[in-house]
Amino acid sequence: MRVADGFAFALRESRGARGRLFFFAVSLALGVAAITGVAALVGAIDDGIRGKARELLGADVAVASRRAIPDELDALIAAMPGARRTDVLDLSTMARSESSGKSRLVELAGAGSGYPLFGSVELDPPSSVDALGPDRAAVGPELLRDLGIGIGDRLAIGDAQFEIAAVVRDEPGRLGAAFQAGPRVFVTLEGLARTGLTGFGSRIRYRALLQAPAGFAAHELDAFARRLEDELPGAVYLKVETASESQPTIRRSLERVERYLALAALLSLVLGGVGVAQIVRAWVASRTQAVAVLRAIGFRPREVLFLFALHVAILAFLASLVGAIAGTFLPFALPAIAPDLLPKDFELAWEPWAIVRGALLGVAIALAFAIPPLTAVWQVSPARVLRSDAEPLPPPRMVSIGAGAFIAIGILLSAWAQARSFPLAAAFTGGLGVAALLLGLGARGLTFLAAWTPRERLPAWLVHGVAALARPGAGTRGAVVALGLAVLAVTSVALVERRLVERLRSDLPADAPSVFLLDVQPDQWSGVESLLARHGARNIRAVPVVTARLSAVDGVDVTQLSAEKGGDDLERPRWVLTREQRITWGELSADNRIVDGALWSDPSRAEVSLEEGFARDLGAKVGSVLSFDVQGIAVQLVVSSIRTVEWDSFAINFFLVAEPGALDDAPHALLGAARIDAESEGPFQDELARTLSNVTPIRVRTILEKVAEVLQKLSLGVRLLGGFTIAVGLAILAGVAATAAMHRGREVALLKALGVRRVTIAGLFATEFALFGFVAGFVGGTAAAVIAWQFLGRVTDLGAVFTWWAPLAAGAGTAVLSAACGLLASARALAARPIETLRG
Amino acid sequence: MDANLAHLVLLASGHLDPRVVALRELREIPMSTSPAIATVRLVKRLPSGGDMLTILDEVDVEIRQGESVAIVGPSGSGKSTLLGLMAGLDRPTSGEVWLAGRRIDRMSEDELSLVRREHVGFVFQSFQLLGNLTALENVLVPLELAGHGGARDRARSLLSEVGLAERTHHYPSQLSGGEQQRVALARAFATEPAILFADEPTGNLDGTTGAAILALIADLRARRGTTLVLVTHDREIAGSMDRRIALRGGRIEASS
Repeated sequence: MRVADGFAFALRESRGARGRLFFFAVSLALGVAAITGVAALVGAIDDGIRGKARELLGADVAVASRRAIPDELDALIAAMPGARRTDVLDLSTMARSESSGKSRLVELAGAGSGYPLFGSVELDPPSSVDALGPDRAAVGPELLRDLGIGIGDRLAIGDAQFEIAAVVRDEPGRLGAAFQAGPRVFVTLEGLARTGLTGFGSRIRYRALLQAPAGFAAHELDAFARRLEDELPGAVYLKVETASESQPTIRRSLERVERYLALAALLSLVLGGVGVAQIVRAWVASRTQAVAVLRAIGFRPREVLFLFALHVAILAFLASLVGAIAGTFLPFALPAIAPDLLPKDFELAWEPWAIVRGALLGVAIALAFAIPPLTAVWQVSPARVLRSDAEPLPPPRMVSIGAGAFIAIGILLSAWAQARSFPLAAAFTGGLGVAALLLGLGARGLTFLAAWTPRERLPAWLVHGVAALARPGAGTRGAVVALGLAVLAVTSVALVERRLVERLRSDLPADAPSVFLLDVQPDQWSGVESLLARHGARNIRAVPVVTARLSAVDGVDVTQLSAEKGGDDLERPRWVLTREQRITWGELSADNRIVDGALWSDPSRAEVSLEEGFARDLGAKVGSVLSFDVQGIAVQLVVSSIRTVEWDSFAINFFLVAEPGALDDAPHALLGAARIDAESEGPFQDELARTLSNVTPIRVRTILEKVAEVLQKLSLGVRLLGGFTIAVGLAILAGVAATAAMHRGREVALLKALGVRRVTIAGLFATEFALFGFVAGFVGGTAAAVIAWQFLGRVTDLGAVFTWWAPLAAGAGTAVLSAACGLLASARALAARPIETLRG
Repeated sequence: MDANLAHLVLLASGHLDPRVVALRELREIPMSTSPAIATVRLVKRLPSGGDMLTILDEVDVEIRQGESVAIVGPSGSGKSTLLGLMAGLDRPTSGEVWLAGRRIDRMSEDELSLVRREHVGFVFQSFQLLGNLTALENVLVPLELAGHGGARDRARSLLSEVGLAERTHHYPSQLSGGEQQRVALARAFATEPAILFADEPTGNLDGTTGAAILALIADLRARRGTTLVLVTHDREIAGSMDRRIALRGGRIEASS
């Protein structure tokens, strides 16, 4: 048969497909919409980031450092005539209102002339950062709200006072999902100098922003950036970025989020595949006689399979196209759903390629799930044209084996396309298989129980539902498994998120610090200690902190070591080499356990103890010699021991602990910690800001609350996708309900003819579907509770808790949804007049 | 025209599936001398409530090319079973079945499909039309399967031959029983099969319509020289055939 004739036959087969097409389309389109929505959204954000690269970076080339930018940069810029430079210094510090007495941790930016080079800082009333002058500040609206002040009021930052001149409405480069310690405050560089916060020990992030002359090509900018990396002193400790790199850090984070969301969306599509399998199985069963006729005429089994698969592919393509087109509009709904996730003028573009990807995945999954039930055509004997009881033919062995593998391979390849990681795809496929198996066993067990339940003891309204549950029918069991999988996915994520947020928001461990104090000068500690004591603080302690740069490990320069590791800030091994190292000395806390070496073993040399993971990333071991640049002074420390650290105790712990006496003469600040009651934290912070303005308090409870907020913001996407998954599961159940209702039309007609009211019949149907939903929800909820319990206990170490009420709650919720869906799907059968049905 | 040359011409013009030619070359028995259909000690048993029920018991049949044969017998005598075995729709428990010069009882399902595609047409009591397809499309099915060029014109011509030129775009549900059987006849003759198997073709039709259908079968057959095997319980219909094979209890009672 020619392919064109096959297409024509498959299209003709669609004529009897209206009912089938609806549930087929719904099952598949929802999943494809989820897949396409995620791809389109991430693609749009990625394109937006690339399009706004200069605005997001604030420059054509940016040089960032934790120390002052080397002066040699000016000489190198001179080689680019017409280039403009401005500088920005960022730090977290306290801002205090004299009038209200309240204080707040803020993100202070001291901006140089001409900032920003690209984009604009939107101020209200309209103005520029340059126009602020040395005495005025522009602040974020939440600072005004938190401190109870307004424009014209005064703000104390460090040693200086500023008049609040404007509100910051938007600034280039701020992405709403990113973690921010506090509201933004803009001052000029002169204003920042007045605060006195730029001296020794400050935790300033220095950024030099460069605008290339007009006409400078991208490759020339890249070449200039490479020249900076080669020629600037201490370049290995600097971060040089170009706009053409388009925020690789953010985009890499975006890629990680995309993988996770893409797999969550794939789950919806896989469940859609289950729906497809249900519908195809029912369809093949209804076309058995037609298959027998085709076989009698001379079609070989594989030719019949090809025609039917072609028909499925055509339906799948149409359904996927609808879903894919709908999904591409998701990015434009984002501003309504999460308005502060992206900058105001961030342009989201339509991503047509996402339609192609979604449609292809939809067809692939549909065929993967359709082929196994389609292989039933092998069992149709052509002798059925003569006698309907003709025994089925055994399918070829390879067909039976291949059918089962088809689904697994289809899911694996689709997961690989989504996650772009084979190990992740394999884990997804394996996990799904195990979950489906367990759910299937659970559903089978419950239907077995239903079959053996003595019905004479059940109330009348329950008998019908239990009988339906016990009725053999793979279609129903498949619907229960699909809905159960959806419930499992949504409930397990919800339970884990709930526990995470609960822990983040709950009170700290009993003896853990609730506030850390940064940038305390040694001569200030007694004052800080007294202040803490006055506010009822307990477990007050302070440790010295020396900031240093690692210059070599065992004689190998850090420049060479980091070139070997590659990557950027997100690649941990390079970051640990080039970051500002913080070294302390003193007794080790109980959270530390020596696993190699001995703490201080050789009095003839200055030693240091390393945390285990940190040592591994450095490539250091006991006996290694670490060379440091401590504020310009070269210091060598020998690794005497390796230790493990219990980081989640919130106590003060360090990667590097030097031997007491090794760094006594090094300039240092103190890091303080204390436990204060929640109600005393605010007054303590206000008084600290008033009396010791250079000290920055970090309130752990506030940070954890902020992390919880960001987590909930990020989980919005997962919850949205969870909604798609549940919708697909319900669509499958509705499809089964509609099919069952059509088949049981005579039963309904008889009941009506016997005088049973429609509302009573509807009640029986509702009970039946509610039972199915309860089984699906209960089994799925139980599996979810087990998964969350194990994940929290073994992976996150947040304390394993089995949520006993989850199975019942999931069962009850799913029962209600299923009853509603099932009744809707059965409406036609319920509305039919008995005489029409009984006549046939 | 020599058979092999005929095959080459049909192959070159795209009217014959080359795979069928290859199959014929594997088991070459000159078609002109062999019977159209033959069974040797044919047995068919089926399981029935734990026992084995013998439907056919060592049946030997030989039907010449171009002959019309009626298989008659009471209900449950094995008529339809014998027809199904001869047509390659079913497999015997033991014995041999020869169709168009080939032994088919040991063929695979694929091979049987190809043999039926090339040599056999069917007409059934319940018409067995595909409900989603129009009359024209039902007749197109075997033509498209065989890769016939000009399939649509041929299908129209056949429907015209059976008197349904004006009903080509009607669905089976829109046709009467007689009209549906005419469509089935057109479909059966679409690929000019050597053998037509008819299982009670007038069983669901009234007397007048049934007679018209039989006349049509006779007319189509006469023009093409098609061998006809027809299962019927009607003595009059059986009497109009060249030969009658009477079955009783799974055995041939008489052949005349």
